[in-house]
Amino acid sequence: MTDEQGTSGAILVVGGGISGLTAALEAAEVGNDVFLIDKNPYFGGRVAQLNQYFPKMCPPSCGLEINFKRIQNNRRIRTYTMATVSGINGGPGNYQVSLEIAPRYVNSNCTACGDCAAACPDEIDNAFNFGMNKSKAAYLPHEMSFPRRYVIAKAGLSSAGAEAVKASCKYNAVDLDMKTETVTLNVSSVVWATGWDPYDPAKIDNLKFNESKAIVTNMMIERMAAPSGPTGGKIVVPGTNKEPASIAFVQCAGSRDENHLEYCSYICCMATFKQMNYIREQYPEAKIYVFYIDLRTPGKYEKFRAKLMADKNASFIKGKVADMVIEADGSVTVVAEDAVSGVKVQQKVDLAVLATGMQPTNAGSKAPAGLKLDENGFVLSDYEKGMIGAGCAKKAADVVTTTQSSTAAALKAIQVSRR
Amino acid sequence: MNVQPDLTFIKYLKGAGGDTLKKCYQCATCSVKCPLSSDEKPFPRKEMIWSSWGMKENLVADPDVFLCHQCGDCTTYCPRGAKPGDVLGAIRAYAYTLYGWPSGLAKLASSAKGLPVLIGIPAVVIFIFWLISGGMHIPDKEHFATHGYQQFFGVWEFKWYAKNIFFIVMFMVPSLGLAIFSLYMGLTRLWKQMSLNTGVNPAYRPSVTQFIGEFLWPSLVEIVKHTRFRECGTNSDRVTGHLPLMLAFIGLFIVTCWSLLKNDIIGLFLHSWHGPMVLWDPFKIMANVSAIALLFGVYVLWSNRAKSEGEGKTSRTFYDWFLLWEIAAVGITGLGSELLRWLGVPSLGYIVYFMHLVAVMMLFLYLPYTKLAHIAYRTTAMAFEKYRESAFMKPAVE
Repeated sequence: MTDEQGTSGAILVVGGGISGLTAALEAAEVGNDVFLIDKNPYFGGRVAQLNQYFPKMCPPSCGLEINFKRIQNNRRIRTYTMATVSGINGGPGNYQVSLEIAPRYVNSNCTACGDCAAACPDEIDNAFNFGMNKSKAAYLPHEMSFPRRYVIAKAGLSSAGAEAVKASCKYNAVDLDMKTETVTLNVSSVVWATGWDPYDPAKIDNLKFNESKAIVTNMMIERMAAPSGPTGGKIVVPGTNKEPASIAFVQCAGSRDENHLEYCSYICCMATFKQMNYIREQYPEAKIYVFYIDLRTPGKYEKFRAKLMADKNASFIKGKVADMVIEADGSVTVVAEDAVSGVKVQQKVDLAVLATGMQPTNAGSKAPAGLKLDENGFVLSDYEKGMIGAGCAKKAADVVTTTQSSTAAALKAIQVSRR
Repeated sequence: MNVQPDLTFIKYLKGAGGDTLKKCYQCATCSVKCPLSSDEKPFPRKEMIWSSWGMKENLVADPDVFLCHQCGDCTTYCPRGAKPGDVLGAIRAYAYTLYGWPSGLAKLASSAKGLPVLIGIPAVVIFIFWLISGGMHIPDKEHFATHGYQQFFGVWEFKWYAKNIFFIVMFMVPSLGLAIFSLYMGLTRLWKQMSLNTGVNPAYRPSVTQFIGEFLWPSLVEIVKHTRFRECGTNSDRVTGHLPLMLAFIGLFIVTCWSLLKNDIIGLFLHSWHGPMVLWDPFKIMANVSAIALLFGVYVLWSNRAKSEGEGKTSRTFYDWFLLWEIAAVGITGLGSELLRWLGVPSLGYIVYFMHLVAVMMLFLYLPYTKLAHIAYRTTAMAFEKYRESAFMKPAVE
């Protein structure tokens, strides 16, 4: 890239998950200048948090690593982490986008040697693992973080901690006086690949997420099942670390529900089948109960579903879990009506997994000027204006669909830049 | 299963507050959230699919439809806005019309279009009686102060049966009689159909004493205590309105019985007992407390419903409002005529009293066809539920 502030034909990709990475690479590899930004200190997004992703049950390193490599090798892509869009001016073909870059407190001298984390006495909740464990206040967000550079959570650092961290770094990479920076980019169009957040399970009051450790979300299961996760890859009941002998999956936890997310989140049925696989690998005899409204496994996923439905120790109950009873022994009883037999089911289990859905990250927040959202917070692409949605920012989808939509978004963005 | 959807029935439900029923996707959240739903026969999920498929026969003989207190918990948690609570209300309204006898009258009482006739019938009947009774005059203030409304239909020499009572009995008793007969017919049909659908062995029938002792009495105790109403979450404040209203009706029933006994039986022998009760008479106090409780209760229920409709949580239906209007009319005209008696305004007093008679007669006459029929139908369903769960329903030991 010749001009650091962008060229008239440059494209800004907001969000560096699987969707943003794809859009950025597709555009750059045909010769466009691209800015790729992420609000996290790393790229990889939600996929990085998964243990495996379907349909081939690949670990995230499989898809992400090659993309990171392509980005490193491509001189047309410039990246910013910990960056958010604070304002947009101008029009299609000539946008001035202001970015706010939060301080990382670690500069580019960092070699990711890990001395600062070793020296740091202070711990913070590990957000990457949904708070299931702690990390040092000077930390590498996750095992395969890209860019491979530490971050310091200054708010979680004591004064002794600050001294220790500074003293530990032999490369002079720690800079606790770093300030928020503002950068203005000139771009012709913006691809919004802002992704999704797991729906906040605490909002579904009848599922009592905060009342028992035995109630977890599907994303927490992903982290537990991941070898780099808080339990080293073992699925257990958080808190007691008990090996669950019975597990209930609560489908549509907050999805297809006017009171929460009115749409189908698309991936939760398949995520549950995938997680049944994790459980089977660890607990061949565990009882699994899946409570559902409809099982939605479109296309080739039907085979995947058929295989898991043949499991002798798994039962599938057509009925949404609408109540939970917290038991004194640490287990929970899920309550549903079996709509096929017409009788209420009260199933006591060691672990209840809420298959929570996807909420676009833009939901509820004030979208930057010029970005149109639907009532659920999904991006409404405006190709004329060069405001293009991609991946789960546009609709709930799996990785395959997401990458397809990102490639399409890249093409639309290129068209705007060459108008 | 071969389902022949009854389209007219579905259309009826949609028009009677169940317009949302087709939104249901059978997730069964409602059956779990309903505090009154049992483990073996949960509702209202099955009622929702029966409604959607127009399976009228199943619904009108389903005790669960009548057990529903319309708490609104199902509607609050419904992920689709299908409002199961309103759908069940619409089914009940349909059932009362279906079981109502004579069917013409039942049909008339089911929609706002019938309102002029519904008010017209008692108004004309009572007015004609007033004309033929020869009462036909507005008393002077002095007369009004001593006798109140006790000579509304005039007086005659025959002291053993007062003319006023004679005329009131002439229209109130047939009205109530018709209502009771109609309810008897409807409830017998309902019970038979419920037994048939549940697969009761007709060989095991409880005796009358067993029926009353084991099924009916416990249900009545539950009703008076509002045990089930209190389990409601969303609309728990309805107890605040319904309980005083129910107690008011019981109170007014006692006072009416006493008034009849005092004036027209004891009064025949002890002349001083005849005449309006003094204000500090315990029964008068009871009457006034009941009247205020009635107005308070109806005010609470009225404003709850209006609020809920305003927020789009409930549909507005004639079925629900007609009963509120009737009860409000009874309360306002009743208390109004008493106040006008104290104020000594005979002409206006007589008009309001006339309206009071009309309102009371409406309440009696249309009891089996309006929402008020829940008194009988829900009680029957509660008794049936206990019967269904009793030893009578268990298979005989081989």
